[in-house]
Amino acid sequence: MRLPSRITRSWIGVLSAWAVAALSLLTPGSSVLGQRPQAQNVTAILAKCQQCHGETVQMANLSMASRESLLKGGNHGAAIVPGNAAESLLYQRITGQVKPAMPMAPFPALSAEEIAVVKEWIDAGAAMSGGQQVSSTANQAGSTEKSAGDDSLLVFGSYRERKITDVDRQWWAFKKPVRAAAPRVADERWNKNPVDGFVRAKQEEKGLSAAPAADRRTLIRRAYLDLVGLLPTPAEVDAFVKDSSPRAYENLVDKLLASPHYGERWGRMWLDVARYSDGTGYEYDYDLEEAWRYRDYVIKAFNQDKPYNQFIVEQLAGDEIDKPTFDSVTATGFVRLGARVFDRDLENPNYRFDYMDDMARTTLQGFQALTVNCARCHDHKFDPITRKDYYKTLAIFNTFVEHDHPLVPADEFTRYEKTANDINAKIKAINQKTTALEAPYKKELFKVTLAKFPLDIQEAFNTPEEKRTPGQKLLVAQVSTVRVSEDDNERPTKIKVNDADERTRKDFEGQIDALKKQLPKRPPVAMGIRDGDFRFTPHTPFQPGTTGGITYENFGFKGKYLPSPGDQYEPPPMYFASTGLGDFADEMQAPVIEPGFLTVLAPGKTAINRPVNAPYPTSGRRRALAEFIASPDNPLTARVMVNRIWYQHFGQGIVTTPNNFGKMGTQPSNPELLDWLATEFVQQGWSIKQMQRLIMNSETYKMASAYYQADSLAKDPTDQFLWRFPVKRLEAEIIRDAVLSASGDLNLEAGGPGFFPPVPKSIVTGASIRGTWLLTKDDPSTWRRSVYANVKRNLKYPMFEVFDQPNASLSCERRDVTTVATQALTLFNNETFLRQAQHLAARLQREAGSAAAEQVKLLYRITFSREASARELQQALEFLKNRAAAATGSSAQNAELGLSPMGELAHVVLNSNEFVYIN
Amino acid sequence: MTKPECNGKSQRRFISRRDLLHQAGEGIGGLALAMLLGQDRLLAAPAEGAGKQACVGSAGVTDSPFLPKPPHFRARAKSVISLFMCGGVSQVDTFDYKPMLEKFHGKLLEGKGEVTVRQGYPGPLMKSPYQFKQYGKSGKWVSDLFPNVGGVVDELAFIHSAQGRSVDHTLSSYEWNTGSIIAGFPSVGSWVTYGLGSENQSLPAFVVIPDPRGGPFTGASQWSSGFLPAAYQGTIFRAAGDPILDLHPPDGSLSLEQQRAELDHLARMNQNYVEAHPGISELTARISSYELAYRMQGCAPEAVDIDSESDETKRMYGLDNKISEPFGRQCIMARRLVERGVRVVQLWNGAVVNQNVDTWDAHNNIVDNHGRHAMEVDKPIAGLITDLKRRGLLDETLVAWHSEFGRMPLSQKGVGRDHNPGAMTVWMAGAGIKGGQTIGASDEFGWKAEQQIVTAHDLHATMLHLIGVDHKRLTYHYSGRNMRLTDVAGELIPQIVG
Repeated sequence: MRLPSRITRSWIGVLSAWAVAALSLLTPGSSVLGQRPQAQNVTAILAKCQQCHGETVQMANLSMASRESLLKGGNHGAAIVPGNAAESLLYQRITGQVKPAMPMAPFPALSAEEIAVVKEWIDAGAAMSGGQQVSSTANQAGSTEKSAGDDSLLVFGSYRERKITDVDRQWWAFKKPVRAAAPRVADERWNKNPVDGFVRAKQEEKGLSAAPAADRRTLIRRAYLDLVGLLPTPAEVDAFVKDSSPRAYENLVDKLLASPHYGERWGRMWLDVARYSDGTGYEYDYDLEEAWRYRDYVIKAFNQDKPYNQFIVEQLAGDEIDKPTFDSVTATGFVRLGARVFDRDLENPNYRFDYMDDMARTTLQGFQALTVNCARCHDHKFDPITRKDYYKTLAIFNTFVEHDHPLVPADEFTRYEKTANDINAKIKAINQKTTALEAPYKKELFKVTLAKFPLDIQEAFNTPEEKRTPGQKLLVAQVSTVRVSEDDNERPTKIKVNDADERTRKDFEGQIDALKKQLPKRPPVAMGIRDGDFRFTPHTPFQPGTTGGITYENFGFKGKYLPSPGDQYEPPPMYFASTGLGDFADEMQAPVIEPGFLTVLAPGKTAINRPVNAPYPTSGRRRALAEFIASPDNPLTARVMVNRIWYQHFGQGIVTTPNNFGKMGTQPSNPELLDWLATEFVQQGWSIKQMQRLIMNSETYKMASAYYQADSLAKDPTDQFLWRFPVKRLEAEIIRDAVLSASGDLNLEAGGPGFFPPVPKSIVTGASIRGTWLLTKDDPSTWRRSVYANVKRNLKYPMFEVFDQPNASLSCERRDVTTVATQALTLFNNETFLRQAQHLAARLQREAGSAAAEQVKLLYRITFSREASARELQQALEFLKNRAAAATGSSAQNAELGLSPMGELAHVVLNSNEFVYIN
Repeated sequence: MTKPECNGKSQRRFISRRDLLHQAGEGIGGLALAMLLGQDRLLAAPAEGAGKQACVGSAGVTDSPFLPKPPHFRARAKSVISLFMCGGVSQVDTFDYKPMLEKFHGKLLEGKGEVTVRQGYPGPLMKSPYQFKQYGKSGKWVSDLFPNVGGVVDELAFIHSAQGRSVDHTLSSYEWNTGSIIAGFPSVGSWVTYGLGSENQSLPAFVVIPDPRGGPFTGASQWSSGFLPAAYQGTIFRAAGDPILDLHPPDGSLSLEQQRAELDHLARMNQNYVEAHPGISELTARISSYELAYRMQGCAPEAVDIDSESDETKRMYGLDNKISEPFGRQCIMARRLVERGVRVVQLWNGAVVNQNVDTWDAHNNIVDNHGRHAMEVDKPIAGLITDLKRRGLLDETLVAWHSEFGRMPLSQKGVGRDHNPGAMTVWMAGAGIKGGQTIGASDEFGWKAEQQIVTAHDLHATMLHLIGVDHKRLTYHYSGRNMRLTDVAGELIPQIVG
């Protein structure tokens, strides 16, 4: 079925394909009622209700698929009373007389005319012609295949999978990008770069005037902050301004793209998508000690301009590719980085389902801009993604086990493991001797402890075991677990022993210390994943094997946590609808879902090949998914990434919802441009830098932001069509980096474990973290680039927190830009920023000499990359004069943080709009 | 309610009067801005000691994510005070009186299905070590742990059938704060301030006062704005020293006079920038944010200036007793904040640094643990209710008391109790709620909620309703759908909203 081209997406954005098709049936005179020339077909109106009250889903147990089911009704009784609309719940709901009104948001209310049709139909007896059914267009459209009886559609319990049809595939994002030639426009300025042709044509269509080109000083500051997140030095600005080469600007862009600081800026954008953190989150926020290697991998990948298709494959399946490298296995940290409870996970099988949900969600939002997670409990309400699709995706990730990939040759790591295991075995043996030594003392101590318990408990202990009541048995078992060697917080304390035993114990301790010193240093490892069988997870300190877990062996399963080379590897099955919350014996009754891709993108069965070159057995499922995503034929992948690039450069996307290209996302403001960029991206070998080169060399990017045109502002107040360059506030990290680069304090040490910015002790001691947070000084060791700061999930650096750094537990598609007073408090009062102002003033003194006017001029050159105007200079000098006069009378200042008048001026500048915005 | 635009244009969200001027083609003149700044300057007075008048109301702010927004329908309360008892309060030792526990003390809990506990395996049934008495006209049974709260029972509506989904501190704390047991969702306070803004533009809209000993499980993610804009996250007020981090510069570094001079120059510079980039509201909002921050330096300390309270009031909140003083201070701060129009205040009792001692997590010993924590909060809570009432504030303030879960009617390690998400007692007061009533019931042992089970979604729906918000209409577009605090559930509790 072809979509009528005139039907565009309604403002509310939820007209899904079935509704569109239903509307297309409405031609005048086709009404079954036939009485009113303009009347609409009641079944077409009721079709709008099918998504929630249809054959597949019956919310409130109501189906509106037939007259019978309407009469039968749902939780709130019959939906219709034939002959009496006023008494009919259906009529009461669609008119809003009974709440909640239907259709529920976000679906639009029915029109007055539609309501009238329904009323008339009910009042006339609510007749439907023989056997007539209201069906959703999913079924109407797929006229060649019927929902019922179709073997490929899953029916299980009350679930009936909806049919995905070609109508669904008509959604713009599921159709392959079509490359059109860039439109030619009147003004030649816009005909040189294809990007401009698309942008300008849209502007002409909307009647918008475009801003002139920005001056060179604006451009160089913009390019530096955009590409490397640092300020250009005054010398770099001067050189650029004086550069007479026609390629001056192109050369600048090339130079910045080649800078090692480029990856530090752009890698952070990807880390937002990848919900990067150095901590597990949840209750304890343990350290993810090696996570930083993934962060460094991302930075390096951007610096190397790693082809994006390769970047995808490595992150999802770097362990399954033909020749895994240290980099590629490090990349699999992407899958593992989600928030983790990390406490009795084996006892709570549902946690693993939440982890896999995080993996599926982050992968498909991040690479495909699809919200597959919405289909966890039911077919997606808006997009053609079924619940079975969700479980097909989960089946891909169900093979995962957390794995630290050695980053040294295998034999070296084996040698390390053997030595370490031997020593640890010796330590364990000595610990057992200590335990045996302490046992009699513990027994005595327990008597003292027991005497403090209520009498009924003592009595239970005094009762011979065979005479204890069931309650007493439980009591004894419970109280026996009370450890006598711990304080109120269950922290072990040392048991007092006699002098001879104390000497022995000391000797044991000495032996253990000596052994610990012999422990070899652990070779570096990458925090990643590999295939295995989670059902045979060994018990570890984080995974204690206590009550409540599932013993899969009891169900007849056999397998190995980490299959070795030569083993037969059977991936664990994924049962439809399982959540880990139910009884496993019940959950395993559901059909096993085979791994696969979303039906809408890949109809038919998914072929998955086992990698033949892998060093150990692996399913190839993630690799198949990765290659499917990274294929030039995938309609979403390239579009999604070029949109992210565009978003970062212009502060807004062509699609403003970068993680959602579905129906609840927004549609592209310039679809031809998006498609052209997407095809170009693939043609350019998935080179991100090449796309940036293209975009940054466009007139669109080079436009001025300081431009005012009343008519354009009125027509496009949000600058959606880029009639001027949109000013952008710097991200939290870049504000901090820019401040440090202005003062000259920035420590450019790159990579390695995250550093900890200085914070008051009180916020660390009160925080719910069992991972590390080192209290540091505000000194060069912490004046590193912000991307290298340790990212905890339960404790953010307060300055980052107030400046909208995203929640690290969820994939972030775009940063919010909020403006609140606590930001001003932080930037204006925080010690770090006061100190930076002081250091900036000192730099001015050093580099510009003692004349105030020269210092002010340099201040403007450093921070704004431009000359101060005469008026600004005069205002600044006036400020300095007044401050100097005031200072003579002021009381003694904090010698360490006190600001001179020039320090005050620098402090003001670092707080100014112009400083924290890209112009 | 106008839903702030959320898709990628959040920075353009707040269309101000000035934007409208631009759109009408006038452009912003230095004059308009000077007027704005002049106005702000006057309002900045309190920091300079000219009285507290300017610390209330909109204070001339025209452009902020916190400007008050109209409710969906008439609100019964303007503000919310949430009293979160971190660690898990035992319902059967406090407000949910179970005489059957005495009778079956030492016996097994049998015939009720599988009993799951957090640690190890279940012990036998254990009677409460506390005596229960009837209080007030309602004759509500309350244990000796809460004699002062007993004195105000006729103001409280008890729900004995609250039930959560997780046996874990973190996950159930998330559930009662955000509706989800998964990390990363916005808290009730964030939703409320996103939906309604605040009556006071000189103070944060959503204030969290943690236990002075430290934060709760997962700390700030319990008052996170999740996927809502970060502006809506809770702002921590500390009970001692400057209430807000960086509220003032370090001692001696920058005087108020220096600040004022700097801010005047900053405004001049920012004005130049705004003139060059007309029509962008966030730029002018940023100018106001500095003036607001400056005002907040005076307004925030004033708002929590407990010393200015009378001795009689201080005693009422238990400030004359070392044990109850810290929470008493938190409660007085809460009253002062809602008095000044702050929309949501959340108080925490319990800090995880020394989990078994400093939270209500009484695995080892109910008497040791609950005895201490009840003494910390009993007097202050009774003081808060009484004080709100006598000031006429109780009717316009919703007070909700709860924990992340209840505790087992079974013993653990002899005299402790393990976690129990199956039944928790919640009480609500104020907002015109009929006091002295008991809603729902747990079974005869207090093991599982039995009659009228109340979920976190139900509680949240009810709370939103009381402040004039329809929980089904308060939405934010994220991850492919219009998200709600109550997900796709939530039934109003009829006895509360009726």
